[in-house]
Amino acid sequence: MNTVEPATGAKPARTNPVMMKWLKARGRVGRRAMGLAIVVPLVSACLTVAQAYLLATILHRAIVDQAPTASQATAVLGLAGLVALRALLAWIGEAAGIRAAEDIKQAIRKDLFAALMRRGPDWMRQRASGELASQILDQVEALDGYFSRFVPAMIAAAVVPVAIAIGLMPVDLVVGLLLLVTAPLIPLFMALAGWGAEAASRQHLTALSRLSGMFADRLRGLLVLKLFGRAEDEIVRVRGASDEFATRTLAVLRIAFLSSAVLEFFAALGVAGVALYVGLTYIGLLDLRGAELGLQAGLFCLLMAPEVYMPLRTLAAHYHDRASAKAAVTNLAAAFGSLPAVDEAIATPGVPWAPRGAIAVTARHLTVDTPDRGAIFADAMLDIEASDSVALLGPSGIGKSTLIEVLARLRGHQGRVELGGVALADIDEAALRRHVAALGQRSRLFHGTIASNIRLGRVDATDAELRAAAERACVLDFADRLPEGLDTPIGERGRGLSGGEAQRVALARIFLRDPALVLLDEPTAYLDRETEARVMRAVLDFAAGRTLLIATHSMAVAQLMNRICEIDGQRRIVSRVVAPTSLVMQGVA
Amino acid sequence: MRLLFSLYAKRSGGLLLALLLACLTLAAGVALFGVSGWFLTGAALATSAMTFNLFGPSAMVRGFSFLRIVARYGERLAGHSTTFKILSDIRVRIFSRLIPLVPLRAAAHRTGDFVARLTADVETLDMMFLQVVAPIATAILGALGLGLFLWIVLPDSVPVALIGFGLTTLFLPGLIVLAGRRSGAATVRTAAELRSAVLDGIDGHADLVALGAVDGARRSVDEAAAAVRTARLRQGRRIAFGPAFVVLGTGATAIATLYVGLSVLEAGRVSGPVLVGALLAVMAIFEVSGPILRGAGRLGAASAAARRVQSLVDMQPAVVDPARPVAVPGAGDIVFEKVGFTHGRDQTILTGLDLTLHAGERIAVIGESGAGKSTLLGLLLRLVDVDSGCIRIGGVDIRAVRQADLHAHVALLSQDAPVFIGTIRDNLRIADPAADDAALFAVLEKARLDGFVRRLPLGLDTWLGESGETLSAGQARRLCLARTLLSPAKVLLLDEPTAGLDRPTEAEFLADLLAVTTGRTLVLATHAALPDGAVDRVYRLEDGALTLEG
Repeated sequence: MNTVEPATGAKPARTNPVMMKWLKARGRVGRRAMGLAIVVPLVSACLTVAQAYLLATILHRAIVDQAPTASQATAVLGLAGLVALRALLAWIGEAAGIRAAEDIKQAIRKDLFAALMRRGPDWMRQRASGELASQILDQVEALDGYFSRFVPAMIAAAVVPVAIAIGLMPVDLVVGLLLLVTAPLIPLFMALAGWGAEAASRQHLTALSRLSGMFADRLRGLLVLKLFGRAEDEIVRVRGASDEFATRTLAVLRIAFLSSAVLEFFAALGVAGVALYVGLTYIGLLDLRGAELGLQAGLFCLLMAPEVYMPLRTLAAHYHDRASAKAAVTNLAAAFGSLPAVDEAIATPGVPWAPRGAIAVTARHLTVDTPDRGAIFADAMLDIEASDSVALLGPSGIGKSTLIEVLARLRGHQGRVELGGVALADIDEAALRRHVAALGQRSRLFHGTIASNIRLGRVDATDAELRAAAERACVLDFADRLPEGLDTPIGERGRGLSGGEAQRVALARIFLRDPALVLLDEPTAYLDRETEARVMRAVLDFAAGRTLLIATHSMAVAQLMNRICEIDGQRRIVSRVVAPTSLVMQGVA
Repeated sequence: MRLLFSLYAKRSGGLLLALLLACLTLAAGVALFGVSGWFLTGAALATSAMTFNLFGPSAMVRGFSFLRIVARYGERLAGHSTTFKILSDIRVRIFSRLIPLVPLRAAAHRTGDFVARLTADVETLDMMFLQVVAPIATAILGALGLGLFLWIVLPDSVPVALIGFGLTTLFLPGLIVLAGRRSGAATVRTAAELRSAVLDGIDGHADLVALGAVDGARRSVDEAAAAVRTARLRQGRRIAFGPAFVVLGTGATAIATLYVGLSVLEAGRVSGPVLVGALLAVMAIFEVSGPILRGAGRLGAASAAARRVQSLVDMQPAVVDPARPVAVPGAGDIVFEKVGFTHGRDQTILTGLDLTLHAGERIAVIGESGAGKSTLLGLLLRLVDVDSGCIRIGGVDIRAVRQADLHAHVALLSQDAPVFIGTIRDNLRIADPAADDAALFAVLEKARLDGFVRRLPLGLDTWLGESGETLSAGQARRLCLARTLLSPAKVLLLDEPTAGLDRPTEAEFLADLLAVTTGRTLVLATHAALPDGAVDRVYRLEDGALTLEG
């Protein structure tokens, strides 16, 4: 198998300015902490200047004036005070950066999840849940360094070098000018270093993520490769791919590392230039200033020279944070289709709807197309009278669940569907949910207890009501055998429930509600006949005075209904009075 | 860590070069700053240009500057080039170790994100040398060099300088790692809770919408996100001590050295220029503390990653080849005899299952999902071994033959068969590297995918996966089916081959099974309705055993 990229391979998606703008807009959430994280390094730079000045003074007095050490104690203490203050500021700055990043990440996560929940079930069905969860967790986490480290470092790099150069002018014009002459160049070199570092980290990240992608791909399919006897060959390919990526990346890095050499060059030039200039001035070989230059001033200039380039170094060290953030934003935009607006409006409410008693269901010209299974309904029609009970039969995969999902407005469709004479599409979301109860084929149980899962049906249900609902749905059959009963934890870290048990828990939720229309998708699948009969008695009891539609494979269930419907080969819904026995055979599996 | 040591030993030359250059960079920087201070102070004290040796120091200043630039460049290049070699070594090592281990049986290895985590772990290990090992080694060597230098020029300051340097660059970062580890556990826990709250919301979205409970899910995600923030802030307050300690350590060491130096100067045992030079050298060497601190932050994650990878590499394969394997009989009945299989400790899947399958027969196995259909197929390939009973091909127990021979005899289309990154041709040729285009199109036709491939501008050379063409679920499934059909194996096991196909195509494929399998033995595990005559027999798998249908 090839490991090289396709000849026509598209470039990895680039971040567009809109995305970076979005990132900046998000940054406003953590404004206060961010402001602190930005200001602190600037204050700290001022203290660095004071510290260097004091140190130069002490050395001057000791060496030139030969002042006794004891007389310098105050100055040394002052130096210690400055150091302590700078350490404190360093802690504050770092903690503020972390806080800003955490505030921003929390806000982004909240918005992303809210945006996710606003999406229709159709959209959600086409995505892998693990992938989406990883976006909200891991991709958002990748924004961390951008806010906590990169942004403060960038501002410090833009301000501090120029400020120091100007600050040095009164001490020695030439040194100040030397640094200020490079000052207009600093943005240039910053860009140069930035481009270099960014190109390096981008190339590096792209290459690494490609390589990791391929490696993960082969690991995922390792069993298939092994079964076809190809795994050993693939080792050679893994090696080849790694080596090729290494060669290619290194070629880019060779140039990109020049940026660190450039930084090194300027830092060394600063120190060496100041040392030589000041030294030559002292011994009189160079005289560019009118007044005498003391040791104190000379040492001060020397001590400050590396500090000019320090912020640039810090920036270069954090440059990959920017690249990671850019990549993360690109990923988020790709996974969610669009980035959630910073202040997204709440969806507009639909037509208020308050049906009294059971409601009728009608569908005209109902057409449902799915990308992977083709047409499921084509111009189908359906009429269910209020208070009627209808069974929907047919082999699995024919579209029973789809019809239930359409009627519960969990799946997009074409044509007109009306509930109680009101167009389904117009009904207010909250009202729809209040009056229509739907049980899916594979209901999700959430982390929590059996009781907390049932209570999702009605949050304010009393314990007695909850227990009654659990009893009707035959949940107590298994729950009472557990040591903790209904309070048994379930979900990932709790006890696993079997398919039949989960389905009964989900059914119990519905028994807590007061719907006008009840839609049940295979409520008795996985149940033995005796339990099925008890569950169905409870369902029929509950459905009195409501409209009921049950998708089922079980003839025993179907015969309890007033009417039986079926989806035929023309993808329409047809009524039938007597069900042929062959249907039962086909219906299994 | 054992894994890393053996990998580093293999590339020790390159690593030592990178380390040497890193030390040289540090030494040049320290020397440049020190010499500058010495020269500058000396010049200030010189009474005239005649008595001052100008050329030595100024040559040294220029020399060290140049050395510093070159050494920095070389260090980065050497370090990365060796890291890339190690990166390749790690992947090859893990890949080859995993071959005998798949399929991994532990539950932790079956989740979808196992591969993602392993890949991330490997990436963490890639950068271990550059980010963690090299800075720490440089600091230790730097301390030795500094000690030696001070011992010559300013012996009195050796203890304070070395203690200060050691505390700042080695001890305090270690302390921060330890502190971070404890609060790190809370971060990991809250992140896991957030993940499951998010997954609840996504997986249960339809239920939440139907129940009108979306707001509740949003609230619980908000709470979990807030908990993550709190935990991370607590950790952040500890991490923030890192930079503060560097400032404090650097400053305190410089002040202590200065104070000691001043009294030595007063006593006349050191000259002013030498004192300034030594002091500036001490200050300059603290430049290594930045990378160390960043590296220390990563140490916890890196050692956890190393532990996970090591435990994987140390695993023993569950299924092993016999010492003296026999050949797989070319033809012969496949017989399952009283086969029992239990999943984990107590989840019984198969109990006393009997099945005889004559060469060239086609059978279908139906049953509820979770009944054990896929397990049944896996047992025939020894993906796992039976717990009781045995499986024979032509009278030979499959545990007596080499796995590779068995795999060549029996081909499987599994439910989760992947499409690999690569071209369509690459994907198909996994089953038969020698197949020509005619053979590839023949199997694509059988899988009802030939029309699609012919319509692609690049045909069989179309790139799939990352940055290439993406296939729909149905197309991907058919490509994997075509791949299995291309295999020269005599026995085909197809697990839900028509999942993801639309109904007419599914019916067409199943009606055509006879032609598709070309006289090979076939076991079909399926939910689909089978047309008459598609297979010779249909079995239902229920309660761990097979019963004949119809």
